[in-house]
Amino acid sequence: MTAEDIMLFEIELLELLKEVIDPEVEINIVDMGLIYKLTYDGEGIVNIDLTFSTPSCPLGDTIMTNIRETINQKYPDFIVSIELVFEPKWTPAMISDEGRKMLG
Amino acid sequence: MQGLQTNNAPHPSVIIPHFVFASIALIGVAMLLLLSESALIQVYFSGKLIAITHLTILGWASMIIFGALYQLIPVVFETSLYSERLAKITFYSLGVSVVFLSYAFWINSFTVLLPYAALATFISLLLFVINVFLSYKKSPVNKIESKFILMSIVWLSVTEFIGTMIAFNFKFNFLSEIHLHYLKIHATIGFVGWFLFLIIGVGSTLLPMFFISHELNKNWLRKSFVFLNLAMLVLLVNGFSVNETSLEIVTFSFSILGIAYFLRYIYQSYKKRLRKKLDVGMRYSALAMALLVLPIIILTIVFNVFPLDDEFVNRAVILYGFSVLFGFITTLILGQTYKTLPFIVWLHKYQKLVGKTKTPLPRELYSEKIASIQFYTYFLCLIVMGIGIITQNLILLKIASYLLLLVGILYTINVMKIIVHSSKNTP
Repeated sequence: MTAEDIMLFEIELLELLKEVIDPEVEINIVDMGLIYKLTYDGEGIVNIDLTFSTPSCPLGDTIMTNIRETINQKYPDFIVSIELVFEPKWTPAMISDEGRKMLG
Repeated sequence: MQGLQTNNAPHPSVIIPHFVFASIALIGVAMLLLLSESALIQVYFSGKLIAITHLTILGWASMIIFGALYQLIPVVFETSLYSERLAKITFYSLGVSVVFLSYAFWINSFTVLLPYAALATFISLLLFVINVFLSYKKSPVNKIESKFILMSIVWLSVTEFIGTMIAFNFKFNFLSEIHLHYLKIHATIGFVGWFLFLIIGVGSTLLPMFFISHELNKNWLRKSFVFLNLAMLVLLVNGFSVNETSLEIVTFSFSILGIAYFLRYIYQSYKKRLRKKLDVGMRYSALAMALLVLPIIILTIVFNVFPLDDEFVNRAVILYGFSVLFGFITTLILGQTYKTLPFIVWLHKYQKLVGKTKTPLPRELYSEKIASIQFYTYFLCLIVMGIGIITQNLILLKIASYLLLLVGILYTINVMKIIVHSSKNTP
């Protein structure tokens, strides 16, 4: 895969992760701004820097499981590595315009 | 993974029985009101009214708060509950004690059954206090919200001690003042020290989370904390030693300041919210916050405005108790049930299925239609009951009691719908 292919694939993966909904807010995690970074190494390893709206988010485990399952449903051989980061702290300013529309 | 506290939630079997007991207790409260609606127009120190009050406070409100708090401790304290086993023992112990206590009041057994029932209740509440305190001790954070919860259990212990003392005084008669004097302290610390402190601690964590509002000025909360604690301290010192009427005004003023700062904080959160549309749970919560002003207005009239005859003061005191218990606390609980219980059940049933199969949203576990009908019925019930108490109209009180019974039934239907939800019904 060329660097451009990888970049396009990362965008595709982000689109895929829009299926992962935060069940409380009812917005997908991409538009919520919870994914700080997503990289693909070109050989089946996806690295994700993920945050939560609060460090003690009770849905944290569920969201992480959902991310792994959603990617593995389409790409069963992929290894999904999730790093939880709380710096910078998540703020509502990180919600996309699309996400804001969903909030009403 | 550091800092993540998502595995700390207790097992649903610790929490769900509290919701079941509480919803049955709410129906019980409505039925007792139907059996004795005249209790609401008699003197407020009557066995039947006190039985209904204690069933509402302990069987309904405190029971559900205990269950919800066990679930929320990981969110607020960022640690697990100290002991799930102790929580289960507390549930059974409190359940039996509440029924025993309410029965003792109902049959006016002040000297025979009441002291034992009060002692059993005191021990049950103490078990809860120990569990929450030991959870707090493990907490890695020291936020103002946690301090509110810590102080709520301190004041719960104090009010319970006073309540038990009053109960024993019926049998052994060792207190220097009349019962009403201590009852006032017991009730005020119960309402402000226990319920309000806990609601502020939990509410100031959850409401901004549900509203999606950030960068809030927590100084409002810190000021609220100081003034409410001062109010409780002045009340205690005055009640047990000084006994000055002027100090009652100080308690009252500090309480108002504390409540005002809390409401200012919540209003700030509401104004900064990103989530504009309020669901049924948040509509209840917003209504509860607005209704918190009602008891303040009633007490202001009783305390300060003009001299009142005893008959009017009696009605005002009953209306005050009603506005706190049903206007504020019950309204908030009815709403927050829809924000917490579906998540508890959803997490339990779907945590392992997400991503593999289509899962419903937590709000799809209950009927929004029933919740909405329940909301408007309850709003109507509050108005009719309030007017009924002021005008001492028995027909209105009966209608309001039927409305409350309907609310209790609708609420229980939805609670049971959530609890018995099967993941096999997944669309």
